Amino acid sequence: MTVERLADWLANTNPGFFIIAAALLVPLAKDVVTRAILLVGGPGVALVALINAHGLSINLSTVHVLGLDLVLYRPDSLSFLFGLAFIIASAIIGVYSLHRRDPLQDSTAMIYAGSAVTAVFVGDLISLFIAWELTALSSVFQVLAPRTRESGRAAMRYLFFQVASGMLVLAGVCMFAVATGKTQFALIAPSMAGLPVGVMDISAPGAVLLLAGFGIKAAFPLVHNWLQDAYPKASETGTVVLSAFTTKLAVYALARYFAGLDALIWIGAIMVVFPVFFAVIENDLRKALAYGLNSQIGFMVCAVGIGTQLAVNGAAAHAFVSVMYQALLFMSTGAVLYRTGTAKATELGGLHRTMPWTTLFCLVGAASISGTPYLSGFVAKSMAMSAAHTDPTLMIVWLMLMFGSVGAIVHSGIRIPYFAFFGRDGGKRSEEAPFNMLMAMGMAAALCILVGVAPGWLYQFLPYQESARAYLESELWAPVHLIQQFQLLVLAALAFMLLQWRKLYPAEQAGVTIDVEWLWRRGGAQFWSAISGSLGRGARVAGEWMTRAGIAIRAAGRQVFASDGWVAAKVPASASAGWCLAILGLVLVVALFG
Amino acid sequence: MSEEQAHPPELPAEAVARPGEPGEHPLSVLLFAWMRKPMIARYAMICLGVIGIGLIGAEWLISPYRIKDATNVPGFYGVFGFVAFAIAALSGWPLGKLLRRPEDYYEKRSGEAGRDR
Repeated sequence: MTVERLADWLANTNPGFFIIAAALLVPLAKDVVTRAILLVGGPGVALVALINAHGLSINLSTVHVLGLDLVLYRPDSLSFLFGLAFIIASAIIGVYSLHRRDPLQDSTAMIYAGSAVTAVFVGDLISLFIAWELTALSSVFQVLAPRTRESGRAAMRYLFFQVASGMLVLAGVCMFAVATGKTQFALIAPSMAGLPVGVMDISAPGAVLLLAGFGIKAAFPLVHNWLQDAYPKASETGTVVLSAFTTKLAVYALARYFAGLDALIWIGAIMVVFPVFFAVIENDLRKALAYGLNSQIGFMVCAVGIGTQLAVNGAAAHAFVSVMYQALLFMSTGAVLYRTGTAKATELGGLHRTMPWTTLFCLVGAASISGTPYLSGFVAKSMAMSAAHTDPTLMIVWLMLMFGSVGAIVHSGIRIPYFAFFGRDGGKRSEEAPFNMLMAMGMAAALCILVGVAPGWLYQFLPYQESARAYLESELWAPVHLIQQFQLLVLAALAFMLLQWRKLYPAEQAGVTIDVEWLWRRGGAQFWSAISGSLGRGARVAGEWMTRAGIAIRAAGRQVFASDGWVAAKVPASASAGWCLAILGLVLVVALFG
Repeated sequence: MSEEQAHPPELPAEAVARPGEPGEHPLSVLLFAWMRKPMIARYAMICLGVIGIGLIGAEWLISPYRIKDATNVPGFYGVFGFVAFAIAALSGWPLGKLLRRPEDYYEKRSGEAGRDR
């Protein structure tokens, strides 16, 4: 194969396939160098392939299977940013997981990352479903990785929701494809400003099922708890892997198919607000971060629902930066868990003394998620907020988003670093995190700073570049915008210090927080216990009646068919012949005139 | 060996938290030791208050003519940040009582909590 042909093949192959191929080789790696080459090299090749793609918004790779045209590779400016975020996250996570030798976890993590990358670059619903299911099946191994009974049960609950999401997507795809004959998103509806975004009408056959399937994966309210249940039960690396892909893939799918759907505005706004209240009382810092992640996804869902060019840009930009700073926060708490054996706020504190690098990186992540100017969160979140603020009918939504911004300062900006690294000294004097973990955290922190200081780099990859450029030039760095954001941060920090000083800030307490998962973890059991009790009582009564009826029927039968019963009683032959004649005559009449 | 040498008295928390304690990472001393100075929290609060008022003043100076609705009033963002933070944090008291359960709440019935570890 010549170099040109190799380059051509590289440029026309879905980048996710390279990561999956590397993942299949990971279990064969005997030493750490080979593992490192595969874990980082797979995403590296994918990145090279993506950058050299033979054009955007065209089908670069299609196959014909079972009478269906599957578009395996169709990059455009929406999928590019999501794919780029996933590939970079995959490489960083590869570095982060080098300290432990778990071929199954490493391999499935890469398959998971590769299938997420594949999903964002495929161009039809059937390929999307296949990649969607692959993410579900490969990701469950991250929850199983600690190999404890607790994580095993959480993994089964997680799998139930993921498979339910996949089944809904499959049902929706089938209904839509049968009714319309279309599966390629570029052919479903006219593009929005030259880009196929929000292509599906909610009244289309199967659209509601697709939305429900995407919604489960995005952790919509009431179906969100798989996230907070499973993520903290995974290993220190598994949680980072999980935080990067699943929910953002759902945001991509929502943007592609349902951007501009009004219902998403309110679903997103509710998602932004309610996790804040759970995160502030959660003792497990990884679970608190999982609630924080849920809230951040709410911003993206809300922006997708608003559906303007600025809002879709905001959702995509937020997804990119959120992958980085959420991963950074999960990596720092993961490092704490790895070194101390716990991520409970009640058992931590004072770790900055022996883990200063981890503390520093955590602070960068915390400042980013809080929306501190010159860090990544500010340049992305403010775009979605601005999209809501410019529409007077969305004032309440904007206030909810504002509350969510402050909530991010509460639960992730201050609470995570304070309780883990500062605050009351938990007495733990653990070593600094392993070098590979620090390196991965450093890479993520550098990206948070780079994007914050030079947002033009990120904005050039946004779906609607004109809109992004206009926002960058007129609003982002406007003095009043910066001052308002600093006001929000400074006075929120003052509120924290005043509450701490007056001892009004709720102290961390051991315990678990009950949420909607109570319904299936305790409520369901109690419900079935009550139902089965009632059914048991009903069955007993019915059984008694059946027994009595059986006795009566048996007695009647004995009376009729016994040797001395009615049937066996002597009947005169003439009467029997007369009855036979009458019956045959009746049959003849029916046969002739019926 | 005196009694005090054999059994040194337990150090108070402030002494343990002294900058540069044994085993502390040099970077920690460089970056974070100043946080342990007495009264630093008070000074930080005063600084934050002054900066906050300064920022509200700066907003008023920059955009006194741009007020269209409540969100454009100088200081709106600061007050919102302060109040929203207080609401979110203080909600932890009632919500904690309402929603917090013992660690073994979900695993109690099977009695398997912690067995695997």
